Amino acid sequence: MRAKTSAYRGAALLLAVGLLAACSGIKTYPNTLEKNLNIRADTRSNEFLGKVKADVDIYRVDANCKGEYLGTVKLDESAVAVGIPPDRPSYLVFNFASSAFFSGSSSSINYATLLKPRAGYRYDIKVSYTDNIYDVAIREMHPRKGGGREIERRELGNCKIL
Amino acid sequence: MDNLEIKTLILFTLLLSGCVTSHPQTAEEFRKAVPGAFMAKVETFEVNRPFRDVARTFQKKAPECLNLRIKTTERSSTSYHVVVTAYKPTVRVSAQRAELHVQQHHEAGVMNVTKEPEGGYYLLVTDAYPLDKNRTRIDMFAPSMGHDVLISAIKGWATGKNVGCPDLTKH
Repeated sequence: MRAKTSAYRGAALLLAVGLLAACSGIKTYPNTLEKNLNIRADTRSNEFLGKVKADVDIYRVDANCKGEYLGTVKLDESAVAVGIPPDRPSYLVFNFASSAFFSGSSSSINYATLLKPRAGYRYDIKVSYTDNIYDVAIREMHPRKGGGREIERRELGNCKIL
Repeated sequence: MDNLEIKTLILFTLLLSGCVTSHPQTAEEFRKAVPGAFMAKVETFEVNRPFRDVARTFQKKAPECLNLRIKTTERSSTSYHVVVTAYKPTVRVSAQRAELHVQQHHEAGVMNVTKEPEGGYYLLVTDAYPLDKNRTRIDMFAPSMGHDVLISAIKGWATGKNVGCPDLTKH
């Protein structure tokens, strides 16, 4: 009887989680393309028992500079390999969500940029949030020569001149 | 209402009326007002960085990080308060000085009682002056309480040690 109740509870919890995930509008990015982004996040809250979570929303950008949401990738200290289409612009929105345990407060801020990866190139992206200061640094790495160059932030409206 | 409460109310009214008669309408008025203002300060320091680099960082980072709108929600058991604040950065660079102005305009949740300049009330003005080839002087006119994250970020841009953006949802 106890096992049956526990199973019902587990099923109800799964259903609730599933419904919440479906209703929130957040979906996992399929990430099926050849991996050209290497993203590493370093997030630290300066509040006692506070947390900062980072993720990136990925949008396909059409000829009119309109974004279509494809999904979200969660970021952490271990590098995450992501594939986005080469030679066409994508819109990346890096979200930083912080929460404080004692005050119960939460907030989020984001950093958005267009990126048009060149075929064959790799992009190292360092995402950081420390002492309430956040940064996203994108570096284009040549497939053979090494080194690289910093990629400037671009607004969605500038997709045609990318 | 007892005597102490009346005195407190009068003191508060006097302080408030002193604070809200007018606000600076230009960056220059803000520079002049800050040294004698309540809860504002002038901070001067030097950085080992060429003036040109400091100016370039202000030009790059200010529009990137400070041109945004923040919505803050405060909830308690008896109240629910939403404030929407739009920030506006302006950078002006000449051979003698690089200026960074930050203005804030409350779009919701705050009632303005004095004339607001175009673009919002001045929150902070930072000036950079060339000292020699590799050194720059920074004058910051800023609030003495709150907005620590914004101040810290602009100091990072001036020194070049941290060029991240301030999380303006924090104070």
